[in-house]
Amino acid sequence: MSRTASSWLSEAAAVFAKEWRCELRTRYALNTVLLFAFTTLVMVSVALGPMGVDSAARATVLPMLLWLILLFAAAAGLPRVFGHEEEKHTATALRLAATPSALFCGKLAFSLTLFAAIEALTAPLFLAMMQLPVAAPGRFLATLVLGGWGLAAASTLVAAIVGQARGQSTLFAVLSFPVLLPLLLLAIEATRAAVGGGGGADSLSRLVLYDAAMTVVSLMLFPAIWNP
Amino acid sequence: MPATTLLEFSGVVRAFGRLRVLGGVSGRVAPGTVLAVTGPNGSGKSTLLKCLAGLLAPDAGRIDYREEGVTLDTATRRRRVGFLSPDLALYEELTVEENLHFFCRLRALPASRGGELRERVGLPATRRCGALSSGMRQRLRWAFALLHRPRLLLLDEPLEHFDAGGVELARDLLGEHLAGGGLAVVANPSRLELPHVADRLELAL
Repeated sequence: MSRTASSWLSEAAAVFAKEWRCELRTRYALNTVLLFAFTTLVMVSVALGPMGVDSAARATVLPMLLWLILLFAAAAGLPRVFGHEEEKHTATALRLAATPSALFCGKLAFSLTLFAAIEALTAPLFLAMMQLPVAAPGRFLATLVLGGWGLAAASTLVAAIVGQARGQSTLFAVLSFPVLLPLLLLAIEATRAAVGGGGGADSLSRLVLYDAAMTVVSLMLFPAIWNP
Repeated sequence: MPATTLLEFSGVVRAFGRLRVLGGVSGRVAPGTVLAVTGPNGSGKSTLLKCLAGLLAPDAGRIDYREEGVTLDTATRRRRVGFLSPDLALYEELTVEENLHFFCRLRALPASRGGELRERVGLPATRRCGALSSGMRQRLRWAFALLHRPRLLLLDEPLEHFDAGGVELARDLLGEHLAGGGLAVVANPSRLELPHVADRLELAL
């Protein structure tokens, strides 16, 4: 590996480690996201319960509810990835010292692992509380991984854009909606297929394409968003 | 023979909306010398330094920074300069040592460089930045600015919050930087007694 590539990787790893170290000391995003995911989950399960949805409609309605819970949990925590750098005036030091692409990848890795933790806690609880059997567990897991990747990549890019603006939470919702809508539709479709046990390969391959496109576009746009 | 490291800027203009903060500022700094920028609050001193650092894009004008005779583009200039400003903060959740190690990793420097500078500016390794006094935070900003041994130092209110010991430390650090062939632009509302001031730039409201 060339010295440049190894130094780039070391930069991205340093950003990732710094993000988790700060997060574990403040627990701001973790607490917000987990509290939101848990309360929404409880509300949904109490309101609907295992018998609250008609058995024929369960495979159609419940995957949508799962992704809505995950979306709003992400929206509660991920905008902070860049917002807090601006609020606490640490963004200037980062702009001076970090390579933009390495910074973005370090932040993206943090968003991915944070979102993976949300999914690891929320999805099994949701399935258990709603007593929803999954016919194709492997496909369900793949949907969570691919949907999580797309959600984290898109949210990190939008967080970088709104980080420099006031009224961040409102702007985040407005900007992320059109970017995340196709991803959500694909993730819901793939989850329905995993729950029902048939098809869904198309949705999964489209999710892979969405994730690849979103990651590449984010890496291309980020330097222009981050620096004047 | 032309100087191998040199900062020249001319006609730098910057506005925020309708408010024109810099109206065509020019200057030049040669190795081993300081350009002192003074002016009242709101006269554009910090804006000028941010433009010189590449943190803000000027609306008009030219900024030419050369190292080894080669003009650096804005992105490279941003990473090469040493920048100190009251607006610059490091991570409150991390200790002094962790902050300096983090920026050493970003700049591909050995961790020992962070330890060396931390001792030079006299900061405790294990204290979190959120628990540092204003003067200690200013010492940490100096360490951050000098970490990668920049040739160009851009210092905005470099003595702010310092006691007598801090002022002496800052003068020593600047003196060492200039003695090593470095150059500096120092902005302050009032005139500071600094070594090797070759030129002064007075900004007005």
